Amino acid sequence: MSDEQKKAPEGDPTDATQWHVVQKGETLSKIAAKYYGDPSLYPTIFEANKDRLKDPNLIRIGQKLRIP
Amino acid sequence: MPVKKILSLALVALFALSLGACGDKAKGPAEAALKAAEEALNAGKAEAAKLIPDQVAAAEDALKQAKELFQKKDYAGALSAATAVADKAKGLGAAAMAKKDELTKGWEEQAKLLPNMIGAIKSRVDILSKSKKLPEGLDAAKLDGAKSGLAEITKTWDEASAAFKEGALADASAKAKAVKKKAVEIMNTLGMQIPAAAKS
Repeated sequence: MSDEQKKAPEGDPTDATQWHVVQKGETLSKIAAKYYGDPSLYPTIFEANKDRLKDPNLIRIGQKLRIP
Repeated sequence: MPVKKILSLALVALFALSLGACGDKAKGPAEAALKAAEEALNAGKAEAAKLIPDQVAAAEDALKQAKELFQKKDYAGALSAATAVADKAKGLGAAAMAKKDELTKGWEEQAKLLPNMIGAIKSRVDILSKSKKLPEGLDAAKLDGAKSGLAEITKTWDEASAAFKEGALADASAKAKAVKKKAVEIMNTLGMQIPAAAKS
């Protein structure tokens, strides 16, 4: 993910950042499986969300995550 | 020959001569008007043709018709047509400026949106290329299609940007439109969210 994509303000109609809202029962591995087909790629999602995730195992329902 | 007949023939000849004289009088102004119309059209044609090619073509066509009328010795018709061409030529400048403003404004949004879309697609394609298994709804053929599409839009966007820098606004705008359309197609294939600005 480019630095521009990480900095793009939310609500900007030209922003192409991909977002996922965490649902009940989801983990980063499950989210990685949904978007990439491969749960082992979850570190990619964690890296893209270090500004809001301290631990890849700790995500909350309703949390908005960037999906590169 | 009877006098009456000679007199009527003379009258007809005089009438024809007077018509010819009128025609000759009209020729000068018509010729001047055609020259002025052609000069007015040529003055701004090069720049206007890049922005409003259809309107320029219509004015050139009208000039051609005015010249044809002149060739047919319809000097009054040629004068009227040439005057209309001169008016059209005057209007081209303002129309070209308005189009330039419209294209420049449209470009500003594309210049923000399209690099973002290309970047997002590239990021996703790079990640999916490392994936051991593809997500539901995506297979190897579709992913390959997305990769080729990405190469195509990257190239076309570079061309669009170069065209804009050279002042070829209509060309830049057309290329940007093509990039946007293809980028939306690729994002749909990859199951990605489309930015709001790309939906219009």
